[in-house]
Amino acid sequence: MSTIAPEFRLSRFVASLTDLILWILVLFTLVGLPIVMIVLFYIELPVINGELLTPYLALTWMADPSRTLPIIKSLLQTDFFRIAAFPGFGFAALIAAATIFIERKFLAKMQLRVGPLYCGKVEGILQLMSDGLKLLSKEIIIPAKADKPIFWAAPLLFVGTAAALVSLIPVAPGWVVADIDVGILAVFAVIGFFPIITVLSSWASNSKFPFIGGIRALHQMISFEIPLILSLLGIVILTGTLNLTEIVESQQHYWWIIFMPIGAIVFFTTLLAELERIPFDLPEAESEIVAGWLTEFSGMMYGLVQLGSYVKLYAFAALFTILFLGGWNGPMVWPPFPEEIITEGITMGPITVKIPGLPLLDQEMLNATLWFVIKTVGVIMVILLPRGVFPRIRIDLLLHTGWYKLIGLAFVNIFIALALLYAGVLGPGGLIQ
Amino acid sequence: MTTQLPPGIQLEKVDERIMTLNVGPQHPGSGHMRLIIKVDGDYIVSCDPDPGYVHRGEEKMAEYRNYIQNIPHLERPVIHDSCNILYPYCLAVEELLGIEVPERAKYIRVIASELNRCVYTLYWLGIYGIFLGHSTMFMWPMGDRELFIDLLEGLSGARVTHAYLVPGGVRNDAPSNFEEKCLRHVNYFEKRLKEYEDIFYQNPVLKQRTEGTGILSRMDAIRLGTTGSVLRSAGVDFDIRKKEPYDVYENLDFQSQVLKDGDSYARSRVPYLDMLESCRIIKDALKKMPKSGSVRTKLKPNPKGGNDEAYRRVESGRGALGMYVVSDSKPEPYRLKISVGSFRNLICMPYLLKGEKLGNMPAVYWSLNYWPVEADR
Amino acid sequence: MSSKKKTNAKPSETVEEESHLVKEESKPDISTKEESAVVPEPTFEKSIASRIVSKFGAKTVIGFIKPNRIRINTKKEDILSVASYIRDELNFDHAESVSGVDYPASKEIEVVYHLGSYSDQQLEKQILTLATRLPREDVPNPGNDSTRMPSLRDIFYSVEFHERECFEMLGVYFEGHPDNRRLLLPEDWADIPPLRKDFRIKGK
Repeated sequence: MSTIAPEFRLSRFVASLTDLILWILVLFTLVGLPIVMIVLFYIELPVINGELLTPYLALTWMADPSRTLPIIKSLLQTDFFRIAAFPGFGFAALIAAATIFIERKFLAKMQLRVGPLYCGKVEGILQLMSDGLKLLSKEIIIPAKADKPIFWAAPLLFVGTAAALVSLIPVAPGWVVADIDVGILAVFAVIGFFPIITVLSSWASNSKFPFIGGIRALHQMISFEIPLILSLLGIVILTGTLNLTEIVESQQHYWWIIFMPIGAIVFFTTLLAELERIPFDLPEAESEIVAGWLTEFSGMMYGLVQLGSYVKLYAFAALFTILFLGGWNGPMVWPPFPEEIITEGITMGPITVKIPGLPLLDQEMLNATLWFVIKTVGVIMVILLPRGVFPRIRIDLLLHTGWYKLIGLAFVNIFIALALLYAGVLGPGGLIQ
Repeated sequence: MTTQLPPGIQLEKVDERIMTLNVGPQHPGSGHMRLIIKVDGDYIVSCDPDPGYVHRGEEKMAEYRNYIQNIPHLERPVIHDSCNILYPYCLAVEELLGIEVPERAKYIRVIASELNRCVYTLYWLGIYGIFLGHSTMFMWPMGDRELFIDLLEGLSGARVTHAYLVPGGVRNDAPSNFEEKCLRHVNYFEKRLKEYEDIFYQNPVLKQRTEGTGILSRMDAIRLGTTGSVLRSAGVDFDIRKKEPYDVYENLDFQSQVLKDGDSYARSRVPYLDMLESCRIIKDALKKMPKSGSVRTKLKPNPKGGNDEAYRRVESGRGALGMYVVSDSKPEPYRLKISVGSFRNLICMPYLLKGEKLGNMPAVYWSLNYWPVEADR
Repeated sequence: MSSKKKTNAKPSETVEEESHLVKEESKPDISTKEESAVVPEPTFEKSIASRIVSKFGAKTVIGFIKPNRIRINTKKEDILSVASYIRDELNFDHAESVSGVDYPASKEIEVVYHLGSYSDQQLEKQILTLATRLPREDVPNPGNDSTRMPSLRDIFYSVEFHERECFEMLGVYFEGHPDNRRLLLPEDWADIPPLRKDFRIKGK
């Protein structure tokens, strides 16, 4: 952006506009339309009211609004919507973005500051967008001797793994991207990827400080994975299933945190360590090793790593909610959908409109989502708290904690679960159902 | 290249096992100096401090300016604590020129010096927090400093680098609302210090990281010639304000704070206790200060000392700050030597860091209350 | 103005100093210094100084005796024994600072040690100034010329970094110091030691 603008000439301007239009048309017809046709060849088009939904039919909402809602409703049931928007990546990214903003404000209030204030009219609410734009416009610098394929792929792998973790999480009954019978095992398998990606990206950076940061991250994540797994075994023993949706359904009357508080504490601590949050943020220790394994990332690669990091935060917080806090169970607070609108339509003055296809989403699902979001946001707030209170822990104290104390506590938790099961208190045929 | 090397330059062998780390001037955890640390795995084998990155030749410059012109540049080694570094200079020059300072000026000097001590100690505490990763402990002192910087701005006109103390008194009198404002700020600050205790000094992670690291015994502290909070945290009760009182410190009622452990936790705690004492001193001095009077004894232009020398010392935030002024019959000092607490404590660094874990390096290094700019002068 | 004679460390001269502290009246315009009062010598400091002089005789010369400040001048050959005596018998245990003063007019460099005491209660206010003079050459070759003296590091460990700084700033080589190296100056400093009077700041 350092060239001086040449003199303005109207003819040149008009020529450039027509040039632009020409290119748009050429690309659209020669490249765009064939791609759309090829894609539509492979995607399954849903059937609505007995008719196959083609793109042309989808555009008929412009002419006939009464056919909009069934189309949208059927779109809501497709897999693509589940993966991309809710409860998949779009939902997670939205909560992640909100978390970043809330963290900055929350931390600022604790530290006698104000946080972002100027972007956007209301207390800096557009700060995140401006940060994203800034990161997009920065130059991506790759160190000369870095291992280029892995270096480029590492942030993408990171976001991908975080998204894979999100796909296993049920938000409302029936609303989960991948309903696997071995849900918890799949969660652990995905979590096992994170140290690999961290070490790969730090090794590929070919520099001293990322190297130290990567090794520290490796030690930290591996030593805390075992207590993570062990602390959940108690729940698996008591519910008898690995499926996450069934675990939530088993918590309809009571939450598991009441019976297994030690497991919850261990899981929460290992969660902080897996997410590299203070007090366990050694891999990114600013005052000792500049920025740890993220040092060499710049521009949008850094943005992707941050996004992946916060999506991971949401996923873990959601996992905590599902396993210990009862998932989406809660009293019904969502108002029921008024029946008159379906049977008699909406009356506004002299006009009565009947809109078939309402309600879009049923009351139960909305209530479940509401409770899930409230609980997850609560857990996220508690995860954000230690950042303002604790300094960073040292590496040998960290390994000490992970290998000795937390594994010990996790075993205690398993014994408690076994005792409750065999005493006939919980589990199938127990006193409390 | 086989010429004889100048004395003191040694060749170094490169070892397989030992890695040399440059915790250099361009590092978020080092301040303006370089530590050449040799590490064997996780243990520090040797540490060689390399100060001098901010050396500006204060002592040489002082030989070219007369006694009043020396004031603005002599306070630059520690800009926050500028009253304390000018204090021994003013006392020494007053001794050389034979000037008597009015009573009100002495009290104002004491109050300004204590305010500066709090300003410096809060800055140091903030950086200590951030070295350990505690961001709240970085933000709170920076915010609370503003109280005192406000007061000092009202006194002298500048937020830092006040150039307020001159030989003969202070540059100008305190503004009329100074006393009540000062009292209000100091009362609020004492309440804030209780909160620092909770979040920082009783924090279990902090205690784990700093207790038992970098232990300096009492004999070693005396033998190494340390000073200030490093000395007092090792069990030696030596505070110049008590032992060799200057100005009106003998009239004021305070204790010198001594802790016995000698580890990093004690070294980080003594300045905090000092700040509590400073609040008491300020309140006491405000009560006892004469309500009116001149604050400056004017000097003839170009005052000349005789063939004489003077050495005065003062307790600053880092330790004993001494000025050795040699004068001949010219308006400029013949030689001015500044003996700063940071430079005297520098010898603790290779001594304490040997054998420590690398993770303890920030905790020990910054707990020595080392201000790199001052040590370089 | 108080007049004091600076003694050189020549053993044949033992000059007795009269020391008095000049008290000023606080007038708003002080232009000349007047000797308005003569105060007798402080006795405690005099006792310390006389102990040193009585032990070493002609080798040490008293510079001055002021309240809380004593100055002893010696020769560089005797400085080790004087310093050990000061440490062992008189209980001074650390050095507050070590400075060098350049006197090109008499072709000498003076190295001044300020010694203090932490452990002895009576000596807490005292600072003993131990000074010695070394020959100065016009073209310095730090480390290889005659400006050298024995290092006091084995007696007072605290002078280690101070002596290094004195070496680089004035060119005084300390024999017996394990590490005579640059401390504050950059590694590629090729000029004469900066605190010498020959070294002029640009423009002055």
